[in-house]
Amino acid sequence: MPRWGMVIDLNKCTGCSSCVTACRMENNIPNVGVEEAQNGRAMNWMEIITEYEGEFPNIRITHIPRPCFQCDDAPCVVVCPVHATFINEDGLVGQIYNRCIGCRYCMNACPYTAKCFNYSTPEIPEAFVPLQNPEVTKRMVGVVEKCSFCHHRLAMAKDLARYEDREMAEDEYQAACVESCPTTAMTFGDLDNPDHEVHHLKHSNRAFRLEEGLGTEPKVYYLKKEDK
Amino acid sequence: MTDIRQETDYTLFRPILETEKSFYWIVATLLGIIFWAGYMYINQIIYGLGVTGLNNTVSWGFYIINFVFFIGISHAGTLISAILRLSQAEWRRPITRMAEVITAIVLLIGAVHPILDLGRPDRILNVFLFGRLQSPLLWDVTAITTYFTASTIYLYVPLIPDIALLRDKTDKYKWFYQFLSWGYIGTEKQKHILERAMTILMVMVIPIAVSVHTVISFIFSMTIQPGWHSTIFGPYFVVGAIFSGTATLLVVMIAFRKMYHFENYLKEIHFQYLGLLLLIFAILWGYFTFSEFVTGFYGNEPMEMSVILYKFTGPYAVFFWLMVVLNFIIPVVVLGFKRLKTIKGILFTSMGVIVGMWLERLIIVVPSLSNPRLPYDVHFYIPSLTEVSLFMGGIAVFCLGFIIFSKLFPLISIWEIEEGRNEGLEEAQKRLESYLPSVEQVK
Amino acid sequence: MTQKTPKWILFFQYVSLGFIWLLVLGIIVWIINLMKLSNYLHDAQNATIVISLIIIPIFITLAGVLSYVFFGLKRANREEITK
Repeated sequence: MPRWGMVIDLNKCTGCSSCVTACRMENNIPNVGVEEAQNGRAMNWMEIITEYEGEFPNIRITHIPRPCFQCDDAPCVVVCPVHATFINEDGLVGQIYNRCIGCRYCMNACPYTAKCFNYSTPEIPEAFVPLQNPEVTKRMVGVVEKCSFCHHRLAMAKDLARYEDREMAEDEYQAACVESCPTTAMTFGDLDNPDHEVHHLKHSNRAFRLEEGLGTEPKVYYLKKEDK
Repeated sequence: MTDIRQETDYTLFRPILETEKSFYWIVATLLGIIFWAGYMYINQIIYGLGVTGLNNTVSWGFYIINFVFFIGISHAGTLISAILRLSQAEWRRPITRMAEVITAIVLLIGAVHPILDLGRPDRILNVFLFGRLQSPLLWDVTAITTYFTASTIYLYVPLIPDIALLRDKTDKYKWFYQFLSWGYIGTEKQKHILERAMTILMVMVIPIAVSVHTVISFIFSMTIQPGWHSTIFGPYFVVGAIFSGTATLLVVMIAFRKMYHFENYLKEIHFQYLGLLLLIFAILWGYFTFSEFVTGFYGNEPMEMSVILYKFTGPYAVFFWLMVVLNFIIPVVVLGFKRLKTIKGILFTSMGVIVGMWLERLIIVVPSLSNPRLPYDVHFYIPSLTEVSLFMGGIAVFCLGFIIFSKLFPLISIWEIEEGRNEGLEEAQKRLESYLPSVEQVK
Repeated sequence: MTQKTPKWILFFQYVSLGFIWLLVLGIIVWIINLMKLSNYLHDAQNATIVISLIIIPIFITLAGVLSYVFFGLKRANREEITK
């Protein structure tokens, strides 16, 4: 079984936020409005964390795009009281929106704070309604949601392969953020496939994962930013 | 039927038989607060948790703090009453009933709080249909259900002789007391049955009570968040729970002593003894708090350190140092010196401890969430009107429940006082003699 | 003082005692449901079995103590009246 993962090259990332936008369009992420966003309730499945180092004139900025890391040993999965967040058959951490009781325990257990909560009834701006993706479930008020690695795309690719009676090719499945990246900073694929690029990249000596010491085994690798 | 006014313990019957006008005013006020809280909660159901002050990083706030706080208070009762009964402390007699009532009422209020906190309370049935016993929240559900059942039974069984007294000696709600008294008429055999049942319950209730609060601390300590992931949390929470519980018991005792004129039953000595217990727990609490922070501070792990500094010098410093003063310095000073250890002093200290223990829960829940491991923008958590109203509602339900209980059942166990007069004195003397070396052998 | 309890009160006393057993039965059904679910999902079977081994006997004992008190008091009452 493939182990889907992502490698993000921080040298190439410019912090342009096109992955964030692509994710919002792909996954029907509601717009909470300015006021709510200022209250800290902005919803983003993909978020860009900006790290500043140094004093003012000599600042070094690192942009770190942060999807859900789809940990192999996910701390959010063990604490869910109702099996609403779980490791699905593709090894990704799934959310069942219709079962979630909204206790927000998984949000607090996640060391990366990768989940967000629908504090009010989700609203999509009227202009965006025709652009909504019919493949992705609309969430309701009071449930937790997070990046799914565009799991619906995997399901579609699998269905298509089954319909055409063939094995699914690896490059048929790409997450929306990876597709949209203008600088090809992100690479997506099977981490266990020795022929695939992600496999090489994850063994590069620049590769690291966030909070690796916690033993959560995230499936998203970063390539360290190097000074030029 | 003889006139009940001639009874020796008429003071204990009086709250049930006579109702002052002020009672209705108090009930009306409390009901007003409860209805207001109910209105706010309906608002929350309609508009979602957006009406609270929570956000994506600090996603647990007042409701979880109050949950831990109320469940903590509920430890006063049954645990203290069971320990005092088991150790045959004779001064327990007028205290046990009130302690048990606190447990039963506050536990119910505490158990509702996680439901208030849910984003989808309509799906609460999912916990029963699709629950996973792996989740610490499910441990809570089972532990609290067990504790509530056990402590209600433990409240009810010692109440039966008093219910029978009320059935025989008063005319009020005769059918109600007849229903609840289960045909108790005070024969030797019946007394023996009750005693045996109480012994079994006492032994069962103590481990259940300890497990409940340990399991509540596990909600936090089972995650890997800095400030929460700590092995000391189980005993720390249990000690804190008994600490806040004893303080609440003292406040309740002083309030009802004044309200129903129990001065003859709740004497200075009872407050002195319970004050001593409070002092011991204040010191224990100080010791646990010291060990909790000194290990984190010495270890100097960056994530742990950011949480600790947030509490020591950051935005939560006010609450942290206020908590230390209220929970440690004031109790040790007031309860440690005989001149300050008056009933007024104890009342002041106990109220301080209740506030201080609430602050402790606040300091445990929020700063860990306000310091995520990754550098996000964190928004300071300020509770909204809804959350504050529901907290007030919880306190109002507690007061109302207690007052209504006092109008139906005696707040001080009449039969235990009688037993103390008739048998306890002799028994205590015999017991004391059995402790001492016998005179013949010494010679 | 040792008057007999009216029939209808006695009936409701039995009903109320039935409730505690209903609670115990409910807890057992619930726990067994969770055990089946955890087995089906291959999800923490050990924890489920350990917790159910603790919970079920505690509830049965609690309800047992209450029933013991109820029937004990009733029998002693009957003996006293018939004496």
